[in-house]
Amino acid sequence: MENLHYFGAAIGLGLIVIGAGLGIGRFTAAAAESIARQPAAADKIIAAVNLPLFLLEGVAILAEVFVLLIVLTK
Amino acid sequence: MPDEGSESVGFNPGEVIIEHVSNSSIDHPIFELPTVLGINFSVTKHVLMLWIVAVLLFVLITWSTRKYLKQDRPIPTGFMNGLEAVVQFIRDSIVLPNVGKKFVNTWTPLILTFFFFIVTANAFGLIPMFEVLGVVDRFILHTDPESILNRMLHGGATATGNYNVTAALALITFLAIIVAGTKAHGFIQHWKNVVPSGLAWPVYIMLIPIELMGMLVKPFALTMRLAANMMGGHIAILAILSFVFIFSEMFQSVLAGVGVGLVVSLPLVVGVSALEIIIVLVQAYVFSLLTAVFIGMAINVHH
Repeated sequence: MENLHYFGAAIGLGLIVIGAGLGIGRFTAAAAESIARQPAAADKIIAAVNLPLFLLEGVAILAEVFVLLIVLTK
Repeated sequence: MPDEGSESVGFNPGEVIIEHVSNSSIDHPIFELPTVLGINFSVTKHVLMLWIVAVLLFVLITWSTRKYLKQDRPIPTGFMNGLEAVVQFIRDSIVLPNVGKKFVNTWTPLILTFFFFIVTANAFGLIPMFEVLGVVDRFILHTDPESILNRMLHGGATATGNYNVTAALALITFLAIIVAGTKAHGFIQHWKNVVPSGLAWPVYIMLIPIELMGMLVKPFALTMRLAANMMGGHIAILAILSFVFIFSEMFQSVLAGVGVGLVVSLPLVVGVSALEIIIVLVQAYVFSLLTAVFIGMAINVHH
């Protein structure tokens, strides 16, 4: 019972991965589709998708850090 | 974390990993310096890495720029060519679209400094200099365990993996945002620009705390993003390499551990290290881009 926090950390980590995967997948799908519709605007679309992509990755990594905090500093 | 054997000293992966990414202990600094105003200025490993990165960048960039400027006709060659390409890229696609033509030359040096410093500091964490030094010391030099060389070996080499270092960089961003708004609009108008004007007054009671919190959260997110990305990569590499030791302890044979290492650990670690190289460049780019975006938001207020 005193090791329950490992359980929580593992579930949390799985949820983070699901969230990040879904988000980045949607970004990339929207970007690919809009490039397919208008190849001339490819540069602008990539520039527009760049920033939120890495912000989302930052959120995922931040959450991973908090999970590590749970695991390592009981 | 629960460790394996209780009679002998088992392999504790959590401890080893944490020791390899965190700063060296303040009790065993590399150079002992006095304590001024309650701040212990002794040089720990991350401070040493910051100095090495700063000196290297300074020497490299000023030397090549001076050599380039002293030519009769300024034609960039070699390293200067690449440097100029990077500077042009940052000025034209990071600073200019966000800050606007009027303040480009004011803020490009800051963004360039951030970019080059973070790229170099991140990259130094990937080069196993201190591990090589440790091997040399262990098998060839055999210096005293308390010598400077040995004290330099504890701790991780990624200075930007330490949230204190990235918090200092984010503090510079925080101050730069205030300075940018002050330069563009004047001191009082900058603070008035934090909330959009022309709303009914009860909305302000809710909006001002939210905006102030947003002002603090943005540098905090910059801090944690950079530190966590750097530390996460190293932790992943070390955890995969710990498989070797965990398996050799579990099966009580060196061959099992080394076999697992060669088949599983080594390809995975090579893959993660390649990803790390990409992350090193991307995180520097994101930090600089976000700083430019925040400075641009303070200059061109568009609520």
